[in-house]
Amino acid sequence: MQLPKPTLTDILKQQKVLILLFCVVIAMLMIGELLAPGFSSFQHIQTILRTASFVGLAAIGQTLVILTGGIDLTIASLITLGQIFGCLFVNTSDANLWWAILLILLIGGVFGLISGLGVSYLKISPLVMTLAVSSLVNGVTLISIEGAPRGRASPLLERMGAGSVAGMPSMVWIWLLLSAIVILFLRKTIVGRQIYHIGTNSTASRYSGIRTAQIRTMVYVLSAMCSVFTGILLAGNTARPFLGIGKEYTMWSITAVVIGGTSMAGGSGGYLGSALGAIIIIMLEGLLTVINIPEAGRKIANGLIILIMIMIYYRQNRKR
Amino acid sequence: MLEKQRNAFMYLPVYVAAIAIYLLAGILQPRFLTWNNNVNLFTRIVPLLFAGIAQTFVLLTGGIDLSVGSIIGLTNVIAASLPFPDTGMNLLLWATVPLLVGAAIGLSNGVIISRWGFPPFIVTFATSTIWTGVALFIMDVPGGEISISIYRTITGKLFGVIPVPLLIIIGFVAFAHMILRHTVFGRSIYAIGGNKQVAKESGINVSRIEMFSYMSSGMFAALGGMYLSAIMISGDPLVGDPYVMNSIAIAVIGGVALIGGRGGVQGLIGAAYIFYLIDNLLNLLGVSTFYQYVAKGLVIILALTLTSREQGFSMKRGLLSVGRKAKANLQ
Repeated sequence: MQLPKPTLTDILKQQKVLILLFCVVIAMLMIGELLAPGFSSFQHIQTILRTASFVGLAAIGQTLVILTGGIDLTIASLITLGQIFGCLFVNTSDANLWWAILLILLIGGVFGLISGLGVSYLKISPLVMTLAVSSLVNGVTLISIEGAPRGRASPLLERMGAGSVAGMPSMVWIWLLLSAIVILFLRKTIVGRQIYHIGTNSTASRYSGIRTAQIRTMVYVLSAMCSVFTGILLAGNTARPFLGIGKEYTMWSITAVVIGGTSMAGGSGGYLGSALGAIIIIMLEGLLTVINIPEAGRKIANGLIILIMIMIYYRQNRKR
Repeated sequence: MLEKQRNAFMYLPVYVAAIAIYLLAGILQPRFLTWNNNVNLFTRIVPLLFAGIAQTFVLLTGGIDLSVGSIIGLTNVIAASLPFPDTGMNLLLWATVPLLVGAAIGLSNGVIISRWGFPPFIVTFATSTIWTGVALFIMDVPGGEISISIYRTITGKLFGVIPVPLLIIIGFVAFAHMILRHTVFGRSIYAIGGNKQVAKESGINVSRIEMFSYMSSGMFAALGGMYLSAIMISGDPLVGDPYVMNSIAIAVIGGVALIGGRGGVQGLIGAAYIFYLIDNLLNLLGVSTFYQYVAKGLVIILALTLTSREQGFSMKRGLLSVGRKAKANLQ
């Protein structure tokens, strides 16, 4: 019997997807430049990267969860929670920032723990479990601010979310750092490899001694923490709290992961693809805005992309 | 016979809980028990019930339909944009268009899922985004109108006594129950949800049945969308949003197994009452409306926890049977 193990051909195939995605990014930049001169200017690319970094950060958690064969629908509600709580706790004071980040990460982690325990120990379908937890999160957000968002981000947080460091938006640096960590984590650590094994065959990995339940729970906790952290940084970007700011992020994160070539059944793919996926989504939004397509059209485009991408990837898998 | 008795007991807790919540609400606010309020309740519960039936058809096959909400939203705005004057024939036309749209969307979901073998949740997630977009194209802000006579018919009383919403509730639940339990199509849905491989080997055209179950789901969702437009006398492209979670929730509370093959529409009325009455009860207790999100989330998680024990058993049974097969193959 052959064990599903990442071989050289698998790695090459992964690179093929990444090269393809990179070409798509270049092609979109060129089309954008044709439609609206200035689309590919250094300044606009910086803007694209900054916007994409928020989607990219949310997609870190989604990638981890989808690699284990699950899905996380709490992302939108947790980003909103992070953004609202970020403004509420920080409230214009840099001194509050660090404990606020810790506290919000903790709150997010608790919600992730609820989803994770439900999925891994009660064997509840991840889709329904995270849907129910997102209702909890929305409730908690609204209860704690009594329906009226207040507070404001601090100067340091605003520099993180909207400012620049060394010629690049600081968000891009944060994104690069976290991307490097998650890519190394998935490729080089034992737990990272075990995440792939769980996604490939959960039963087999349990029998081979992998602590599937614990790792699965951990993945949901990490995802929730990514989401609330994204929310906090979004607070720095907008400075003021907005209810429903995270609305589109569940869809965007899933689309980014699907574009990036991570299998929805789990077990194959990686974060680099999702990161490129995040950039592609934001560029597409920009392109559609440039040619005056309303929100409705952008929604349709997003849905079509998911469908087309799964068609492409599934066909490839079937041939294999 | 035993199977039937067990089924009857299976739905008992749902109705006991529903009645308990109803009586509790009645104690807190005696007006709750009046006939007028009950008629109002019937009216409010119908769309939830349609969404629940739609979701049940798909859940029973072992799939999931995240596009229920967007079909409700789209058919809702279509129903509110159709310019048909008040004659019997036109009323029929008015009802046909959204229903066909719902059927077509459901069928397209079914084709993509069953013919090409893509995971249902990601396909319906993608199509739900697409159809919400289309609904927003038709109507970007709530508006449109519905002939007032439709509103009067739907919220009125038959022979001046029996409220029409009650007839709709009983009629459509009975109809869905009949399809599921007493037709070849319905029995095949259970067979597929129980064990797809066995169903295929026993000669059931699995992909066709799956296609039709998604189509039925689309049609019931369309009925929900039309009903909503009739009681709101207008259309709203995003009206369906909460129905994605709510439809799954009431199906789960109503005893439908998420892994497919078990449960039915019998528990849905009780589940819809529980889900709807929670809001009212919290209002009566003077709790802020924001707690309703938390309460609903907790109720769903509770229902999932209670039913997951059963799923755990069936999973164990499944593993055992796989083990036996492997052993037989080896020998």
